Amino acid sequence: MAIQIGGKRLVDGVNITVEAGKCTAIIGASGSGKSLSCLTPFGLTPGEAQGSVKLDGIELIEADAHQMRKARSRLTGFVFQQPLTALTPHLTIGAQLQEAADQAGPQRLSRHELAQKLERVGLSRADERLDQFPHRLSGGERQRVMIAAAIVHRPKLLIADEPTSALDASLRGEIMALLDELRAEQGLAMLLVSHDLASVEGHSDDLIVMDQGKVIESGPSADVIANPQEEYTKRLMAATPRLTEPAPVLPAVGNMLMETEAVTVMFPRPGWRRGKIEAVVDASLTVSEGEAVAIVGGSGSGKSTLGRAIAGIGPLTSGRINWQGEVLPERRARSLAMRSLIQPVFQDPVASLDPQWKVQDIVAEPLKNLRPDLLRTDRDRMVEEALDDVGLGAEYLQRVPNSLSGGQAQRVAIARAIIASPQLLVLDEATSALDPLVGASILELLAKLQQANKLSILLITHDIASARRLCHRIVVLDEGHIVEMGDMAAVIDDPKADSTKRLIAAS
Amino acid sequence: MMALVARRLMTAIPTLLAIILASFFLMRLAPGGPFDGERPLPPETQAALQTAYGLDKPLWEQAWLYVSRLVQGDFGPSLVYRDFTVSELVAQGLPISLTLGGLAIILALLIGISAGLFAAVRAGKAADKTIMMLATVATALPTFVTGPALALLFGLWLGLLPVSGTSQGWSWLVMPVVALALPVSGAIAKLTRAGLATVLKQDHIRTARARGLPETKILFRHGLRPALVPVASYLGPAAAGLLTGAVVVETVFGLPGLGRYFVQGALNRDYPLVLGVVTLYAALIILFNLFADLIYGWLDPRMREG
Repeated sequence: MAIQIGGKRLVDGVNITVEAGKCTAIIGASGSGKSLSCLTPFGLTPGEAQGSVKLDGIELIEADAHQMRKARSRLTGFVFQQPLTALTPHLTIGAQLQEAADQAGPQRLSRHELAQKLERVGLSRADERLDQFPHRLSGGERQRVMIAAAIVHRPKLLIADEPTSALDASLRGEIMALLDELRAEQGLAMLLVSHDLASVEGHSDDLIVMDQGKVIESGPSADVIANPQEEYTKRLMAATPRLTEPAPVLPAVGNMLMETEAVTVMFPRPGWRRGKIEAVVDASLTVSEGEAVAIVGGSGSGKSTLGRAIAGIGPLTSGRINWQGEVLPERRARSLAMRSLIQPVFQDPVASLDPQWKVQDIVAEPLKNLRPDLLRTDRDRMVEEALDDVGLGAEYLQRVPNSLSGGQAQRVAIARAIIASPQLLVLDEATSALDPLVGASILELLAKLQQANKLSILLITHDIASARRLCHRIVVLDEGHIVEMGDMAAVIDDPKADSTKRLIAAS
Repeated sequence: MMALVARRLMTAIPTLLAIILASFFLMRLAPGGPFDGERPLPPETQAALQTAYGLDKPLWEQAWLYVSRLVQGDFGPSLVYRDFTVSELVAQGLPISLTLGGLAIILALLIGISAGLFAAVRAGKAADKTIMMLATVATALPTFVTGPALALLFGLWLGLLPVSGTSQGWSWLVMPVVALALPVSGAIAKLTRAGLATVLKQDHIRTARARGLPETKILFRHGLRPALVPVASYLGPAAAGLLTGAVVVETVFGLPGLGRYFVQGALNRDYPLVLGVVTLYAALIILFNLFADLIYGWLDPRMREG
């Protein structure tokens, strides 16, 4: 099969087979053509497919409108990446589930039957949900509804396009287990698309690795993972952090640098109800010179709020932040020198850079504010040095963020953070929006910077396996409270808190 | 939902009061008075009339008196159409204006939404470009141009429709309603087209398509409602536009609606008449905005909360 959009050939020579009751997984970086390969034959992308795609005897490439509708409705179910937007906002869950059931031919399901379908995918209070609109449900709940709707008409093939990548780490395992169960129960064939090897491992029979529109390697999953043949696959395997890999050698740790004392952050409750939401409660932690500390937790655990409070870019309700034994004042009262001590890096690299600015100006901005005494020539020299430190050449100076890839943009964001010579970097999910290969290279870069500059790092993440590559110690947050804290290896070997165990299982 | 209605009605009262007081004082700032005719009245008669209508009292007192009577539903007497109260004049004009405005908004919605829908389905093609150009023209042409142009074409040259006044049947309504609806329909067509263009790219449309639904069902069941959210938010300003447009249209087509009384009243310095019409217009616009909010909630359930 080949796919082109507007005459440009994006996918070429792809062969995919899925057998009934089996799961074939396609993995690859973003832009590798993996989603295109699965969705284009069904007419669900702007692309045009050539070659041959056979589904249960129907040739999809030459199918007329009627056959195509049949292929989409009766034979196939789809689960998409973004559960938050994949459901129609103005139709109730019940109406959408009924619509999905109609794919197998008009059939009126009773309310009780519809509720049973929701219960099957693990939704509680199923009867109540039928009358609710999608916005009342969380991301995980909506993805369960999507799965229920994708299989309610008993299709032969289920196409799951990154079904778990938009979900919280601890939910991923649950959703994948659910898909496995349903597959076995209904004898479904499943085509699973993912950029993340870890989420596919153990859930697929066959594995296809794609890069730049071509199949790099394919075969039984266990074989490919245990014994990758191609260079790209090997690199992909190596880039995927695992808890089983040997512990990295981390640089020595110096004196105490920063200490938080009972940091609490509260937000007013939205709406008319009075009261406060406690986002972070009594968080006390330390970071030493040259030390990397991971703050780990699920979404909503308060890890980002704590990181923002420490970086001085978010609210702090009570508690203190000490810097080398002295109290760091409230953010507005911090001097320029204090402000340059701690610098943040955010999750979405492209969104955190001003699209109108050139890389040169973006990287120079902290210097203009924090070191107004610098001469322009010195500043330009420092910008080039900072870019060089993050592995970008002078040719990037005049580029704008939209022309950068995710990994390049994150490097620019890191250059902006390190240019004012901070002693502590606060990285908020700085690698989770990136492909595994790119994410791994960013982690390597951070390790290099840490060693070269004696930098301390606070790494906020949901992914323990990637934190382990960089961090000496780990702090686990759950519902705003620190539930566990300690040496990285010790916590992974013998986790005490339930949420730590869940996060480790999800890694 | 009821809480929203109650809250809106509560805020409507101070809004209305502010509008009434502002127009009351603004009108008094304008030179001239209700009893200035071609031939000046003798000073004694002037003074007697002033006293009879309470116009000799301090302005604040007059304002207070007006508002307190208004609360009891008394719009006061007309100063120019003697023997008529403002309520009687309004009762004559309002049905005509409401028919005109109501039909115009329905027509504008019908034309606008279907044209926008048609253009969105054919996005980028000739039909889309033609419709969008016509919509721009329709929006740009003021009613005082389209009104006379329609009257000239269909009334005078073709002789199909009456040019002025009310008559038996509905034929007299056609041109005023069309003239009034045209600019609004152009704007609605553009909003619908833009709304659909955004919505049809969204993920939930792909989900619907993946279910093998026919394209028409995708469009009407999954696409249209969220696409009309911008149209709903335009309905409030559109209602205001229709009311001011009605002033022109009623004058052009010689219809005894509220708009004409409004213009006449303003020219004659018929203070209670103008205030009465302003109050009514303001109330209608507030009501229409509330209505638009309710439609909003129907179009997108997320709006029902918060």
